[in-house]
Amino acid sequence: MKAARFDYLRLDDLAGATAALAEGRARPMSGGQSLGPMLNLRLARPECVVDISRLPDLRRVEARPGGILYGAALTHAEFEDGAVPDPTPGFLARVARGIAYRAVRNRGTIGGSLAHADPAADWPTALAALGARVHLVGPAGTRELAVEAFILGAFETALAPGEIITGVVVPRRSAQARFGYRKSCRKVGEFAEAMCAVLVDRQSKVHRLAIGATEARQLVIAEAGAAIDSPEIIDDILRAAGLAADPAAFRLRREVVRQAIAALATEGQPA
Amino acid sequence: MKPIRLSVNGRDIEAEVEPRQHLADFVREELLLTGTHLGCEHGVCGACTVLIDGAPARACIAFPVALDGAVITTVEGLADDPVTARLREAFMGEHGLQCGFCTPGMLIMARDIVLRLPGADDAVIRHELAGNLCRCTGYIGILRAIRAVAAERGAAGEAPVVTRGGAVAPPLHVSPLTLPVTPTRLSTSGDERPGRGEDVPAASAAFVPEKLCNPVELVQEFEVPALRAKVWALFQDPGRVIGCLPGARLTAPSDGHSVNAEMAVKLGPIQAAFGGTGVIAADPANWTGTIEGGGVDRRSATRVQARLVYGLDELPGATATRVRVEVAYVLQGPLAQMSRGALARELAERLTAAFATNLAGLLRGDAVPAQPAPLDAGSLLFSLVKDWLRRLFRRA
Repeated sequence: MKAARFDYLRLDDLAGATAALAEGRARPMSGGQSLGPMLNLRLARPECVVDISRLPDLRRVEARPGGILYGAALTHAEFEDGAVPDPTPGFLARVARGIAYRAVRNRGTIGGSLAHADPAADWPTALAALGARVHLVGPAGTRELAVEAFILGAFETALAPGEIITGVVVPRRSAQARFGYRKSCRKVGEFAEAMCAVLVDRQSKVHRLAIGATEARQLVIAEAGAAIDSPEIIDDILRAAGLAADPAAFRLRREVVRQAIAALATEGQPA
Repeated sequence: MKPIRLSVNGRDIEAEVEPRQHLADFVREELLLTGTHLGCEHGVCGACTVLIDGAPARACIAFPVALDGAVITTVEGLADDPVTARLREAFMGEHGLQCGFCTPGMLIMARDIVLRLPGADDAVIRHELAGNLCRCTGYIGILRAIRAVAAERGAAGEAPVVTRGGAVAPPLHVSPLTLPVTPTRLSTSGDERPGRGEDVPAASAAFVPEKLCNPVELVQEFEVPALRAKVWALFQDPGRVIGCLPGARLTAPSDGHSVNAEMAVKLGPIQAAFGGTGVIAADPANWTGTIEGGGVDRRSATRVQARLVYGLDELPGATATRVRVEVAYVLQGPLAQMSRGALARELAERLTAAFATNLAGLLRGDAVPAQPAPLDAGSLLFSLVKDWLRRLFRRA
């Protein structure tokens, strides 16, 4: 199908973009790999698309104390190819490589993935497990939120009218840090039906676990040491979250969580 | 219309484009480069894959208006590219195509794979090629063709080439076609054809329920502190029952048997407004009833068919009633495709839960707004908090 009519604006600075987005039914677009299909299917019918993909602030990479700030308009392929520095031992490239398809990764952006907040997308779950923080700017100024506080539900975020993601800070992890990441898809690149990311950094005593593809917001366990040692705790967490109603889906989620935890032992280190 | 400048297959193009026109339509319709094929038009099938600044991308979800200054290469632009020439031979030799519909996208993706990953094995090729669908070959021939060329490049010691972000200049081939060609536009003003507007009233013909094929089924049970007869009376009043669904209202007075209604739903960027008709049937002897209906979201052309069965049980003491609501529905069309079964299910669960909350509130005598706000996460959260506060104060 063809998209319905929309107007198009590309502004040179953040202030202009946020002002344009605060008015009426405007939506920001960066890589357009999630909004594009929705426009074509006429599920999203904004009056105006505000192109933020070329804002210099959204294309920067900055070392910060304790981590790296990535501009929101950096593409998945840039992470996959190691074109940007990584504050973890190779975790970001591993996540990026599994996102959709290369033709999508070449244009889709990390900020766009977070703003779209599809529960089955890779970045929301992986970045929640990595303890990343989202930087926002809007008419009311700037603020930052933890990924798990930013995403409120399926396709629902804390973004206020006119507000956009400028970047995401990924904390630095030690060389001994390990990351287990597993998802189950019907076909490579399809939306995941179950997903789990686990981070263990014994040096800084960090144990974080995030469960995605929940049809709602991610489940994030910030102190996951006990759950990693005895995964049956996760079963209770899945049940409490109402994710055990369908026995087959429950078995799949349990298995993906267990595999992600098991992967800590085998592939936490860069290849 | 917005002015843009592009380089397409080595030729500089200046054009005025409508923002909503996607790149595949632009190269096909405006430049008559019809080698780029369109399959799904929402980024799933890979048939429209082209090179944007040297890197493969879906032309159906890229908009030329946003590509000002970009270098585009379509399959025609790879006519003289030596890597593509070798791939064409290999595709022919290994039965890498039959009908040829997917082939332009396959060739562009195959070229990217052998450049980026010389010596790639089957597992890597399968992973990298997963975004391009073929209905004829079963992929085996395509896989063999790419493996052969990747192996040649690996054996020849070719270094991996980064194709991303213009890091490598795309092949320059000036298309033999005279460019640009702009066909006459059918219409430049608003889309005023009949039936296209959003204000067209829902069809009011009598609704005939159809059997639901493979419906999603939900069950919700809740108790309301009211006599069964009172609850029953409410279920016989279509306006009040429909009003308990967030965002729903009757569009015409009901005769007690058929209903015309509309319902607005919001899920993130998705906004749908279903208009439709239904029939109500009651079985007073068993305290059960059925509401069946169907509707269409005119903006996305998504169809929904649904059935709601309710049953009322008297609780001991006869002062409270247990309401059991069974919902079954089938979604067809873009919304079902996009939001996938599970997300639509989550939405339906939220709708059913909100229906239960509103119904219970109505029976307790709380005023339900004449036209409740469309359901979205924010308003739902608000209603849950409100309900919780109300119960808290009642207890105190």
